[in-house]
Amino acid sequence: MRKTFKAKIAIILVVIAFLFFFSNDFGLIDVEKTSIITAIAIDKENDDYLVTAQIAVPEATDTNSENLKAQLTGKGSTVGAALKDLGDVSGWFPKLAFCNLILVGNSLTNTNVIEALDYFAKTLRVQDSALVALTEKDAKEVLSSSTPLDNISAFALQKIMFKTQGFDNDVASTDIKTFCVGHYSKNNSSYMPLVKMVSSGEDGANSGQGGTKSQGGSSGNESGEKTKDKKVLYDARSTALFKDGHFVGELDSDLTLTLNALTENFKGTTLPVDGVLDSSEKKSNYLLSVTGSKHKIKFVKGDVPTLSIKLSLYCKISDHAVEGSTEALSENKPLPKELTDKTHDIMRDRIDRLVKKSIETKCDFLGLNEKLYRFNHKQYSQYKDDLLSKMKVQITVNIEGQK
Amino acid sequence: MKLELKSRQVCLFIIAFFPIVKIFTAPSVLSSFASNDLWISTLIILAVDFIGLLAIVYAYKHTKSDLFALIENTLGKFWARTVFVLYFVFFFLKAIVPINEQKDYVELTLYTLMPSKLYFLPFFAVALYLCCKRLRVLGRAADVLWAFSVLGLIVLISLSIPNADYTAILPIGVNGFDGIFKASYSVLNWFCDLPYLMFFIGNFRLKKGDGVKIAISFLISVIMIVVFMITFYSVFTSIAYRQRFALTEISKYTAVINNIGRFDYLGIVLILVSNIFALSLPLFFACKILDKIFNITKKWISPIFVVGAQLVILLVFTRNFASIENFMKTYASAFFFIVGNILPLFLLALVKKEKKYAKNI
Repeated sequence: MRKTFKAKIAIILVVIAFLFFFSNDFGLIDVEKTSIITAIAIDKENDDYLVTAQIAVPEATDTNSENLKAQLTGKGSTVGAALKDLGDVSGWFPKLAFCNLILVGNSLTNTNVIEALDYFAKTLRVQDSALVALTEKDAKEVLSSSTPLDNISAFALQKIMFKTQGFDNDVASTDIKTFCVGHYSKNNSSYMPLVKMVSSGEDGANSGQGGTKSQGGSSGNESGEKTKDKKVLYDARSTALFKDGHFVGELDSDLTLTLNALTENFKGTTLPVDGVLDSSEKKSNYLLSVTGSKHKIKFVKGDVPTLSIKLSLYCKISDHAVEGSTEALSENKPLPKELTDKTHDIMRDRIDRLVKKSIETKCDFLGLNEKLYRFNHKQYSQYKDDLLSKMKVQITVNIEGQK
Repeated sequence: MKLELKSRQVCLFIIAFFPIVKIFTAPSVLSSFASNDLWISTLIILAVDFIGLLAIVYAYKHTKSDLFALIENTLGKFWARTVFVLYFVFFFLKAIVPINEQKDYVELTLYTLMPSKLYFLPFFAVALYLCCKRLRVLGRAADVLWAFSVLGLIVLISLSIPNADYTAILPIGVNGFDGIFKASYSVLNWFCDLPYLMFFIGNFRLKKGDGVKIAISFLISVIMIVVFMITFYSVFTSIAYRQRFALTEISKYTAVINNIGRFDYLGIVLILVSNIFALSLPLFFACKILDKIFNITKKWISPIFVVGAQLVILLVFTRNFASIENFMKTYASAFFFIVGNILPLFLLALVKKEKKYAKNI
């Protein structure tokens, strides 16, 4: 009898606890009041940040399979305040869990960019694996642009910046965490892709049709008016360099490719090698496909730190622009000596230019200070202020093909 | 006397509950003082723990009395009560920060908006239920939850490995012993788990080879903790100190997560389930001590007082947790070290004294 009574009390207590627990709807927000932000653009106007959010609008329809979007801008003295402003004017709760792209406008290159980006690295609301990129123009303009690749420009940009392994590794992709780690490391340097808009040659409607919809924000965006504009493509093959949070220079597409060869898995990337002289003194152009790569950057012990950069690429000919060429990726043919020599010279020259760029901009994008700190710690205190200018450099490039 | 536990359960208890509480905010606290040497700080505390563990295993082997009887028989009632009060305070204080940390973790990472304070109530219901039970409930929980803890950690660590730069822990020891020891000292609130094992004295039969098994279980938990700490630092390097909730952050950078979604939450949820029990442990032992000090026979009185007091602290001192956490990391750490690491060593003397009494009788 007593046991049954106790069991009843226990069940009632559990029911009450569950009632409290579930009455909160798990803290979920009404879907009508939620905005799923897919990308954010940060610009600076005087001392204020302008944060533009590209929002994916879920719509219950079976007649339209295209992505719909809205765009809102908030303003504030900090990025967090601008996001709050964005929520205030829209009545939406800005949900950042799906925000995979953060664009930094060129207006921030005159300031310490980390002051804006640190918010995303510290808050738990956004995944700090979100990609980050600098735009050549206002970030808002890039986000508002219309592209033939996708109705939502952020999705098109992500396709370019976050390529599947095996594609050309020609963009120096960086996420918020990696950018901040570089900034706060011994290198005090970071980099991110520089996004440029390129005309696609097509005209497009910016709003009101084609599944794209812009809504007014606090800064007064277009509100439903149809505005014809050029459709654009995005080029992110250049890299913006930052030292102590400040923009200090740019790597062109060749140097960006070389940077990736020295820091990431380079397999699947293609290298155009033009003007190769064959045995009959005829010039021809090749496209090499890198099917294997190894890189090693280290300091060799000595009185003065000597940087040793080794790059080894295993390549196959993907294309050879001459009549009657039999070279193809499917063929197991040795690389002609003239081709390996030319490729060797190109890559060696690019690595040399890359190191010089690092010295010139003082941006330690190869992470050399951190390497010296970790592996040659005794020398670190001596050279930490002027390592880039005082170090010696040894470059070894090895190009291999079928034997 | 009927034995409450089996030696297998003691081993699994160590594997299930020792690593769990330490992988929420302790890694960021450690790296804020020791930077890349956080794993050395961790090893130092665990090495000190291991010495205490040897004393406890000695007691497992050489006495049949439980901890309460052992202390009363050797020190007398007054000193025994003093020791019990010390351990009550130890367990009560030890529970405060990790419970608040779990509340913050769930609130900030699993909920979008600031949820009602009541959402955390079910934890206290589970804790209350556990505290009303006898010691055997912990053994049974360990039988199941060790798999949750191990599996959860394997999921998180293996997802983190592709993003970890393990050379980040180099150079070893250059931050100086000051930072390393300061880090060890500051996280004693999350460590110092030996007193749990003291309460198993006399509650299971230590057969031949069981001592080694317990030591191996402890080493397994050490490996789990140290590997987690090293991986955590290798993923975040220079910004590790500001990743307050290491657990949510550590695994999410892998390409699989970016493409498929946050399925690392499967591992996180497994760990959270284990953690509900791990957080209840200090409350459980505080209740048992309270029962002993005041000779309470109703099994629900102490749990209502202890769990209720923790709930009140959580609700009333919401705005004071910065000071509370700071107090635990500074002044209270000395207390945690003395009660959690030094006093267990005296078990050797107590067991010998008890043996001597037994001989004289």
